[in-house]
Amino acid sequence: MARIEIPRFEFVARFARNRGALVGAVLIFLVALTAVLAPVLFPTDPLRIVGAPELWPGEDPDFPLGTDSLGRDILSMIVHGARATLLIGLCASAVATLIGVTIGAIAGYFGGWVDEIVMRTAELFQTIPNLIFVLTIVVILGSTLANIVIAIGIVSWTSIARMTRAEFLALRDREFVQACRAMGMGNGGIILGEILPNALPPVIVLSSLVVAGAILFESAVSFLGLGDPNVASWGRLVGDGRQLIRSSWYICAIPGVAIMVTVLCLNLIGDGLNDALNPKLRDR
Amino acid sequence: MAAVAAGSRGRAALRLLRRRLIQAVPLMLGVVVINFCLIQLAPGSFLDLMTAENQVSDPATIELLRKTYGLDDPVWLQLVKYIWALMQFDFGFSYRQNMPVIQAISVHLPATLLLMVSSITLALAVGVAAGVVASVKVRTVWDSLVSIAAMFFFAAPSFWLGIMLIVLFSVKLGWLPVGGMATIGGVGGGVAGVLDILHHLILPTLALGLFYAAIYARVMRSSMLEVAQLDFVRTARAKGLSRNRVTVSHVLRNALLPVVTILGVQMGTVLAGSVVIESVFSWPGIGSLLFDSVSSRNYPVVLGIMVLGSLVVIAANIAVDLVYMWLDPRIEIR
Repeated sequence: MARIEIPRFEFVARFARNRGALVGAVLIFLVALTAVLAPVLFPTDPLRIVGAPELWPGEDPDFPLGTDSLGRDILSMIVHGARATLLIGLCASAVATLIGVTIGAIAGYFGGWVDEIVMRTAELFQTIPNLIFVLTIVVILGSTLANIVIAIGIVSWTSIARMTRAEFLALRDREFVQACRAMGMGNGGIILGEILPNALPPVIVLSSLVVAGAILFESAVSFLGLGDPNVASWGRLVGDGRQLIRSSWYICAIPGVAIMVTVLCLNLIGDGLNDALNPKLRDR
Repeated sequence: MAAVAAGSRGRAALRLLRRRLIQAVPLMLGVVVINFCLIQLAPGSFLDLMTAENQVSDPATIELLRKTYGLDDPVWLQLVKYIWALMQFDFGFSYRQNMPVIQAISVHLPATLLLMVSSITLALAVGVAAGVVASVKVRTVWDSLVSIAAMFFFAAPSFWLGIMLIVLFSVKLGWLPVGGMATIGGVGGGVAGVLDILHHLILPTLALGLFYAAIYARVMRSSMLEVAQLDFVRTARAKGLSRNRVTVSHVLRNALLPVVTILGVQMGTVLAGSVVIESVFSWPGIGSLLFDSVSSRNYPVVLGIMVLGSLVVIAANIAVDLVYMWLDPRIEIR
């Protein structure tokens, strides 16, 4: 298989030279770790009432981030919420990447009227107000985790499709592809085995940004009370705390900070990957 | 010379307008078909809910209602009928508001449009200014400040930012209203009324607009730096024009082009984002109508909001294209 190689060590070194990206990667790793270890760190149900209601952060050493209106431990809810939020973000981004790469690859490889139809469809999906579309899908099909993930995937694929298409357009007439064609390789083999591996790096960068976008989408859906009722994601925690902003605004503030930090780190990682893949664009 | 250029520009703009209007037709058709199919997937029709709410149990009446709403027809015929009605601006009837759908939506649409326009204006003003400052003072404290602020506002969920703004400016400081579009009880019409609305508009605009300001600041910064390296800028400097003059009349105009492009792509997102912000600030736009309609399965209204929303996006996109054309100096020659 022909590959346009970037030496791996150089890539890591270039990524690590970007301090923001490094900090982002470390923080995301920590968030992911707490998400994975949530059942070990806080084995009891996070939605159980454990203390006095509306304890401010630091007021009681047992609850470092305080308690909510019912007396539930906010730290425990944040840690368990990380699971839901990250999982939905990753899965939705995976759905979007799968749809986007498939569609973009077909459009870029075959060109012509196929390309025309695909690009018009992408335009169509950019015209429909995305979050309104997500809300409608979720309400119509039901507020389950799977439906939310699919709905976010359906509105997030267009940028990935455009990127994949552009890569395929640039690669499809290169010598190594022509060589494969001359050897009698089928379209499927060329697309999957030859062009796709070379087209993937920029697409991966973009899908890290799609994860960030998906987390924001999910948090908005949950905030509006349309999330899966069995899942306490960060967005829902913000929504739950909304009634108490006069007395205890920290209930709202803390999960929001968690969302912001996570999205911020994902964006930093995306920037870092971008710089590392396109060294020429650095130091602008 | 200038008149000739202006004339050819006007004609080019008309050509562009015509082409974009023709392209909008299949786009609108696609929006209608996708959303119509989506609603067909829904379990249970709005008729079930409507009859339950109004406690209609007489089978004959239900049958009559089914006929009136055309639910007995095959799906494709319903779709054709719907499209045919849309072409005459008939969006159907909303039983909840007891008025035509288009009327129910047009009551709420202006508030949403106002929020969209004010947020985009804020985003452009703040974003472009911040991007220009960062690029002129590149690698200074100013540049870093802009980058850091942009990073934060790009990551903060808008609804959360809105709540935090309420906590700070309404609850703690008491400067601005918590929500709504006008003071309850009213302050009268005229100038006082307009000022009252503007007063209510500040926080929602910040909550929605700062996210986009962050994007524009980043794009503007890198686009300014890129354009500043191009040959024509060096030529202008070599001709002896001052640095500020070159920045304003040569770099800025060209650097704005990517910002305008992104603005066009994001129109749909801005509209959708305003729906969330409306819920935070009890802003009387289409957001509240959407939630009510979605939860009561009032699908004619949901479809109507999608179609009209997409129409707004298409119209805004055409406007953005015209602005792009007006800004882009390369088009002048044709």
